[in-house]
Amino acid sequence: MHFTAVIMKVLSAPILNSEFRNCMHCGNSVKNSELSGFCCRGCETVYGLLKERKLMRFYALQDSDNSVVKPVSNYNVDEDFSYLDSDAFKERYAFNNQREMRFYLEGVHCAACIWLTEKLPDFVSGVEFLRLNLANSVALVRIASNGSFAAAASELRKLGYFPHPTKQQEFSVKESSENRKHLVQLAIAGAMTGNIMLFAAALYAGADGFFAQTLRWLSFFLYIPVLSYSAQSFFLSAYIAFSKKQVSIDVPIVFGIVVGTIASVTNLLLNSPHIYFDSLSAIIFLLLSTRYLLKRIHQKALNSSEFLHFMMPSRARRKNATTGVFEEVLVDAIKVGDIVQVHPKECFPADGIIRSGESSANIALLTGEALPIDVFPGEKVHAGTYNEAAPLEVEVVSSGADTRLGKILSSMEASFLKKAPIVSYLDQVGQIFIFAVLFLTAVAFFIGFTSSWYEALNRALAVAIVVCPCTFALATPLAISLAISKAAKLGIIVKGADVIERLSQVDTIFFDKTGTLTNGELSVLQWNSFSPEAEAVLISLEKNSRHPIAQAIQKYFSSAKEKVCIAPTLIGFKETSGRGVSAFINNIFYEARRSSIEIRNKQKEEILSVVALYRNEEKIAEVILGDHLRKNSLEVIKKLKQLKMDIRLLSGDSESAVSSVARALEIPECNVIAAASPEVKGQIVKEHKNSFMIGDGANDAIALASAYVSMAVQGGMEVSLRAADSYSSVAGIAPVLQLLALGKKTMNIIRHNLVFAVFYNIVGITAALSGHLNPLFAAILMPLSAFTVISYTVFRLQR
Amino acid sequence: MNIFYLLMPLALLLGLFFLAAFIWFAAHGEYEDLETPAYRILVPDSNDNER
Repeated sequence: MHFTAVIMKVLSAPILNSEFRNCMHCGNSVKNSELSGFCCRGCETVYGLLKERKLMRFYALQDSDNSVVKPVSNYNVDEDFSYLDSDAFKERYAFNNQREMRFYLEGVHCAACIWLTEKLPDFVSGVEFLRLNLANSVALVRIASNGSFAAAASELRKLGYFPHPTKQQEFSVKESSENRKHLVQLAIAGAMTGNIMLFAAALYAGADGFFAQTLRWLSFFLYIPVLSYSAQSFFLSAYIAFSKKQVSIDVPIVFGIVVGTIASVTNLLLNSPHIYFDSLSAIIFLLLSTRYLLKRIHQKALNSSEFLHFMMPSRARRKNATTGVFEEVLVDAIKVGDIVQVHPKECFPADGIIRSGESSANIALLTGEALPIDVFPGEKVHAGTYNEAAPLEVEVVSSGADTRLGKILSSMEASFLKKAPIVSYLDQVGQIFIFAVLFLTAVAFFIGFTSSWYEALNRALAVAIVVCPCTFALATPLAISLAISKAAKLGIIVKGADVIERLSQVDTIFFDKTGTLTNGELSVLQWNSFSPEAEAVLISLEKNSRHPIAQAIQKYFSSAKEKVCIAPTLIGFKETSGRGVSAFINNIFYEARRSSIEIRNKQKEEILSVVALYRNEEKIAEVILGDHLRKNSLEVIKKLKQLKMDIRLLSGDSESAVSSVARALEIPECNVIAAASPEVKGQIVKEHKNSFMIGDGANDAIALASAYVSMAVQGGMEVSLRAADSYSSVAGIAPVLQLLALGKKTMNIIRHNLVFAVFYNIVGITAALSGHLNPLFAAILMPLSAFTVISYTVFRLQR
Repeated sequence: MNIFYLLMPLALLLGLFFLAAFIWFAAHGEYEDLETPAYRILVPDSNDNER
């Protein structure tokens, strides 16, 4: 899962080139001269495949669409998908007699992709049907009874789309049937409202006699399905609130509907002209519309491809005990004692002890420590950390819930459950509102009762109708759904409607260090050369190593300058773990090795490691490596301070590493907590009432779950994503500012609407109580007020 | 005026017909994926023979 994120990062990096040729597959500029006309081996293979299958139309379609194909880059056609056909896997992922499966396809994006993937049945026997949903990049694949999912998947892989099986989740089936029902309810309410309004227009215009009578009865009949079918959800939720002895916003709505219906039916039977079926069905229709909108926007965010990406099953390569061959299995299938193979840049699937291979592990996501550690046979590695340099074989000592990661997960879930449910602002106001309405209706009734029975009913009705819960019931969900969709446009997925409200109350912000404020990867901070040949020597030495330090150095030199160095020939290259690399060049002994770190306080960034290059034990160059701060971290923190936010730094890394970052970001020492375990982090965050936690790793998961509101940043782990209330798909911490601003703005709009509603209600109720407002006029005034708040909300939030 | 008594039921029937059509489409998932068909129409010979 993280593996793919890394690839995407690499892919999105600009490619420097000297030649102006474009790849025949993806159109990227061609850098590698070995491949004629292609940017990478992967693109060449896909091009060849399409040519062989006579699918060249792909490129024509793609041109007409003006879209860009992503380069295929890391290409591994021999990916083993056989696990897809195992019974255990099909049991969990396939449906419809185990003949259908859903795949999240990485890289689909245009009409040409739809055409190409849906052509799959034409050239893979056994595949009956493929249907792609471009909105969330999910393809539904159906195979024949003797077909194979593995064949379909490996073919998709060959075409350059990486398929990840996704579970046919039960909630998504439920979700889609609920959506359909909601849509039908909405359609019935809309159609009936339209017709009833036409009849009402005729009645207001002065229809009389038998004709008017017919129209009234027709309105009543058309209103029946609206009340009995479309309005179901209001009655249900009001009933649930009632049985829990609570007041939700649906209670005043149901009260209004019931009173209005009883009055209208009575007047209908009494042949009186005061019927309100038009207003009642219109309000039901409007309420249903905003709710449907909110629901769809919310679902869309949760079904977006970024999100699905993280919900994919993790796999591992396990050694078959009898044959000794490594085969792909689901992580869940791994047991204690199994031997698993972990390639570089892959995540360890379980806690285990290294049996063979030497490498280094990136443990930042689990502990917050930024510097990769070197690992040797016999040492322990943990699930959720990454292998960096070389393939390893690991004997599993604990798997699943027994791993360190599993324990963090379960305690994160526990703190999730303990999280106090938020009594929303809306419900608080709604509570006061319903009692006020009930009280005032009673008052109106008694005032009217002094003159006549009929007057009493009329005034009570006028109050009940003129009182408009639309600000709460219509405008507020609308404001929140517009805010959520606005956040989605900024690249932030908000997981719940209450998150927006919580955001407006935040006063303390906790940041994780590694990966959140910093890039979370080793890079060269400074390069001091004392000899002209140093650069060429260092590059050729480090080229032979896959150690993270060596890779950071290579990356620095390949991107910093376009100098063409003639690589000197190395003789007797030697890599010593924990020390460095050495070789002879032209009979001179060169060695690049780690030297002790002298922390320089004036240095703004955190120094993690220093490598020095020696020529016959004479120091000729020095490279200082560290974890760069993200570009805009300081700027964002400054702006947050202007907003009077209390900024705190919460890290699992060592004291010295954390405090240098704190200094660079101008965070006072007293607000910095270093070397905190995941549990301690969670505890500290919980102690603050309105805390906002921002983090990325598994070590932040508990804190993210127990914070008042939280955000996981891009590149974070699945665990942190699951724990957090929101997830940013944009690099860096700038989304924090945007999210806070959005929360403030949305709550401001809601408050403005409330002020308007209070004003409107005071005027309306006074008029109704004194008998200056008849129910008919109230019925016209109510939709007008709804229209006002809705247009204000849309106008303010669209900008 | 009497013509209304003929026209109103006719208009209602027409409305109900379209409402029924909408419900039928909604029940068959026509409104589930609102994005892909817009692209699919650009592809003349896509496999539209199923569903």
